[in-house]
Amino acid sequence: MNMQEQIKPSKKERLANKVRVHLDMTVREIFDGLEEDRTRPEHMAYFDRIFKAFIHGGKDVVQTQKGQQMVGTYCVFVPEELIYACGARPVRLCAGAYESVEIGEDYLPDIACPAIKSEIGFSVLPILDFYQKCDLVALPASCDWKMKVGEMLEEHHDVHMLSLPRIKELETSRHFWLEEVKRFKQSLEKLTGVSINRKRLRDAIRRIQRAQIEVHRFQELRKHSPAVIHGRDALEVLNAYFYDEVEAWTEALATLNRELEARIANKQYVAKPNATRLMLTGSPMIFPNWKIPTIIEELGAVLVTDEFCTSGRYLSDMVSVDEGTLSDMLHAIADRYMLPCSCPTFTTTTERRDRVLQQAEDYQVEGVIYHVLKGCHPFDIEMKTIETALQDKGIPMLKIETDYAPQDIEQLRTRIEAFTETLKGRTKKA
Amino acid sequence: MNVQRLRFFVQLISFVLLVYGGSFAFDIGGKLPTFSCVFVDSKGGGCFLVSLQHQLARPIWAFLGGAGLMLLTTLGTVALFAIVLNKAWCGWVCPFGFLQDLMTKLRNLFNIDLSRFSWITSKRYRSVKYIFLAFLVLVPLAIGNLGLSREWTAPFCQMCPARPLMPLLEGNFSEFFIDLSSIPGMILTTIAILLVGLFFTVSFIKRRFLCSYCPMLAFLSLFDKVGLLSLKKDGQRCTRCGNCYRACPMEIRAIEEEKVKKNLVTQDCILCLRCVESCPENGALDATFAGFSIFKASEEGFLKRQEKTIGESKRQ
Repeated sequence: MNMQEQIKPSKKERLANKVRVHLDMTVREIFDGLEEDRTRPEHMAYFDRIFKAFIHGGKDVVQTQKGQQMVGTYCVFVPEELIYACGARPVRLCAGAYESVEIGEDYLPDIACPAIKSEIGFSVLPILDFYQKCDLVALPASCDWKMKVGEMLEEHHDVHMLSLPRIKELETSRHFWLEEVKRFKQSLEKLTGVSINRKRLRDAIRRIQRAQIEVHRFQELRKHSPAVIHGRDALEVLNAYFYDEVEAWTEALATLNRELEARIANKQYVAKPNATRLMLTGSPMIFPNWKIPTIIEELGAVLVTDEFCTSGRYLSDMVSVDEGTLSDMLHAIADRYMLPCSCPTFTTTTERRDRVLQQAEDYQVEGVIYHVLKGCHPFDIEMKTIETALQDKGIPMLKIETDYAPQDIEQLRTRIEAFTETLKGRTKKA
Repeated sequence: MNVQRLRFFVQLISFVLLVYGGSFAFDIGGKLPTFSCVFVDSKGGGCFLVSLQHQLARPIWAFLGGAGLMLLTTLGTVALFAIVLNKAWCGWVCPFGFLQDLMTKLRNLFNIDLSRFSWITSKRYRSVKYIFLAFLVLVPLAIGNLGLSREWTAPFCQMCPARPLMPLLEGNFSEFFIDLSSIPGMILTTIAILLVGLFFTVSFIKRRFLCSYCPMLAFLSLFDKVGLLSLKKDGQRCTRCGNCYRACPMEIRAIEEEKVKKNLVTQDCILCLRCVESCPENGALDATFAGFSIFKASEEGFLKRQEKTIGESKRQ
């Protein structure tokens, strides 16, 4: 199938313009709503700016230096340390826009998840500037959708597919993945002409580690009761990492953390002390798909934590360098991206189950909302295991299956409201 | 608290005391469950395996009398030592282990990469230490009861790499030989010299290579469950990131894989606590003494160690 022929240039342009207009409207609507909220921390403005730049084709979303190569990434398996080590700039392309889903539908079966449709949409049509500007796209074959999409993207980008082992407990899987990481390193070296040495890699690891330290500090602040920041804002902060340069982002988050610390000292909270503490897990939520967190917080409940590969989980596990040679660092990077990853694409659910339970405990979660994107089978399959484990701990769970379309918002609101009401009833009884 | 630095100093002090202590009248007896070679004249304490092998070389009936009492005293003393420190004898005291750690430091200085056995290989050869343990118990018994030649006396000492190596530390080369006077001597001392060769070569690619095959570790692992010093794991907090496994000089996979069992002092564990130090999950790993936590894994500790290996990464 030749995509160039399928959409004729003029039609393509028109379509792109249409999607862009719709996307602009969505973005404006989100931020118009947010501006009315006076309780938000002042330093959210930095992160708002990144997302506001999505309007008019997103020319300012990703700001690269002159001549700097841009490497688009998908999922949580592409080692950013390597990208930074050779002086290039990673941009995560996972997308959450309903507007481009329609375009993706021409290329993928109906049951494909909206994330992959949205991503394809942005890749084939010139809607957002930074999707078009990627010099290389690194795509891990993590789920069935990602597996086949590489081929489709090849018409628009240079694609580096990373083959991901599914049984990560095996010795062969670890060797294999390490070799994949090394192959990616070679690919990057070829692209940039920079050879990654010990010092470069060490510096890159340190830069990302600094960001992660701030993330951990941020997550620690989110444990505070009453909540000091809305869960939707937290999603925004962490989602902004996709597009921002790591050091700038780290600095912005550090500033926000300081503000939040000051707010705690001044007893300035965003939620009432008795607000129901909810947690989100399941399929990823990506800007501008913030419908569920927005509903939760409009209902007066508070989203205290989430377990998403597009949010805190992406930056939670750190590279652990042991002896500090180049091969040791590569080994550490390979391990960091695969072993602790709780993506349901792997055969075991244990890691994710324990992560969810531990988080529910640490953040004093009263109820969990399990988000499944239609067509996101891996997360759907794991739902039962997670639900049972939560039940054993006496934490109720609500499964919500939805996509990026805004049509079901009112229906979702009713369900989430009913869920929070039952939770309130439980606390009163207890 | 930087545990590896502390461990280095404890090892250094024990090394000095055990190898040179005799010259300044330090002596804690010859019943230590650690490779402090008795062939070192200035030793401040000796490995109990040598007395064990001598005491076992008696007819069975003799153990009903004084010989049995002597054997019980030896084993009782050693058991007491083992219960208190568990396998910290290997990771924190053993002078031969310390020498291997020094070789690792030398390897790091040259930036030579570490290599690991495949999982199947390391599993296959792990039982060798039990064979050595059985060998050093059964051969003396055979001398006492089946009339095996006295040339097999203290068979493990004859083949132990510490015997030729450690006296070198006081400038004594007299143990560095191959005994050609008898067949058993020739076989055993040749093995010893070969092991010394391995000590010097394999140290440049592996950590604590010889420890995996040490009969002392086999003996001490009888006390894994009852030792006061212990290593505990909270499975739910573990993300299976594998940092502990990569840091482990003994290449123990259970430390990473185990999610259910609480006690993580496994057969090969030497309680060096590098795993606890490399664990970024608060409280996932915990070193305890008599049930009290003495050193818990923490993100802060993890970052401190990372600072040391890759440079500072402080909060802005």
